[in-house]
Amino acid sequence: MSQTYTCGDHGALVSYLYDECEPHERRAISAHVAVCGTCAEELTSLGATRELLGAWSPPDAQLGFRVVSDAPRSNILKPSRWWQQPMPAWAQAAAAAAIFATGVTLGALRGTDAPGATAGPQPASGMLAGTNTAAVTPGDLSALERRLRAEMSQMRTATTTGTSPATASAGDAQMLERVRAMIQDSEQRQQRELALRTAEVVRDFDAQRRVDLTRIERAMGQMDGTTGVEVEQQRQMLNYLMRVSQRGQ
Amino acid sequence: MTLSDDELVARSMGGDAESFNQLILRWERPIYALAYRVIGREEDARDVCQETFLRAFRALPGFKGQAKFSSWLYRIALNLCRDWIRRQRRAPVMQMPEGVDPGDLAAERGPVESIEDLVSRRELSAVVEDAMALLPEEQRTAIILKEYHGMTFQEIAEMQGCPLSTVKTRLYQGLTVLRRHLEKNGQMTPQLVKRS
Repeated sequence: MSQTYTCGDHGALVSYLYDECEPHERRAISAHVAVCGTCAEELTSLGATRELLGAWSPPDAQLGFRVVSDAPRSNILKPSRWWQQPMPAWAQAAAAAAIFATGVTLGALRGTDAPGATAGPQPASGMLAGTNTAAVTPGDLSALERRLRAEMSQMRTATTTGTSPATASAGDAQMLERVRAMIQDSEQRQQRELALRTAEVVRDFDAQRRVDLTRIERAMGQMDGTTGVEVEQQRQMLNYLMRVSQRGQ
Repeated sequence: MTLSDDELVARSMGGDAESFNQLILRWERPIYALAYRVIGREEDARDVCQETFLRAFRALPGFKGQAKFSSWLYRIALNLCRDWIRRQRRAPVMQMPEGVDPGDLAAERGPVESIEDLVSRRELSAVVEDAMALLPEEQRTAIILKEYHGMTFQEIAEMQGCPLSTVKTRLYQGLTVLRRHLEKNGQMTPQLVKRS
């Protein structure tokens, strides 16, 4: 910068204002301001503006951030994978229902494939799936084997003793009838269990919904209480201000 | 014993998280104040402040110490503020002050300051905030860095990536707009101008 200051050099004026200029610049501007009313007034008003800027303070905020993880930096605050996140209640219920339906279907298919698997007394409709599995014990299987062997030997005897084709076909019809009855029993049992499981899922879902609703209602009640207190404080403050202003008049 | 920023940075780079926490403690208020004044929203300023330290922590291994740690932090914070403003371009940058909240006054009222003084201080603060909101982002940032963070023209120029002369021009233009606005709102009277 030159040794003299000319009006309109805003950069130099700002340097002078913030006291960030060379000594010779300062001397030149001081000398100019002493004789130039316009520049002096501008400098003064800019200084007054700066003073007012000091009144602007940001609101207090709760900060206190801290590094809390000792994990490698690359892992910090990464969003968790979807399979690591907790599953919502409705998704758990849906998954349980899907697994159960798959199990029921597989059970029905196996039931039709295994003759005699449902022979014997059926479990009551209220019994659990575990009870049903326990009903097929090695003892049951050996009993079934013995019964099948007996039936086969009877058929063999009937064949060797020269039973008529009509008798044989009657035996086949009986067997077919029994198989049908077994399949029907199996289907009924599976339907009962499906209805039972569905009712359980619906009941659990409803219970969870009620719990959630209760929590929400409680939280809303707390918020109402807080807001009420704030409104009351504001009302008291306004009354106080009114009293103070009336006293001043 | 109080460690310098450079010492704390060196310890943090060696894996000492507690040293970085000391740096956070030292710089979170200035960074929050900068963010608040630039973007004008308390919640978002807090988010920007937190994100600034997160980014700094992650990028610490790449910090070579060419600039001061605080300058580096300010730069990160300003970049985040700029991103925030870009995202909020359609919305007003500043929330217009809606008057004095008596609830806040009651909470803030101290034993030494009368309620009248507090009200006028809050009003003045709101007027200044309102006036600052009128400035373009570059001018506002230059004034904030100069007035509230005491940076030199050179530091602001480096922070804003512009020549030194541009910084001075921004400061002059910004202060002029502020002066007019404050005069219009009765905060600066001709008497005040002449007296000071």
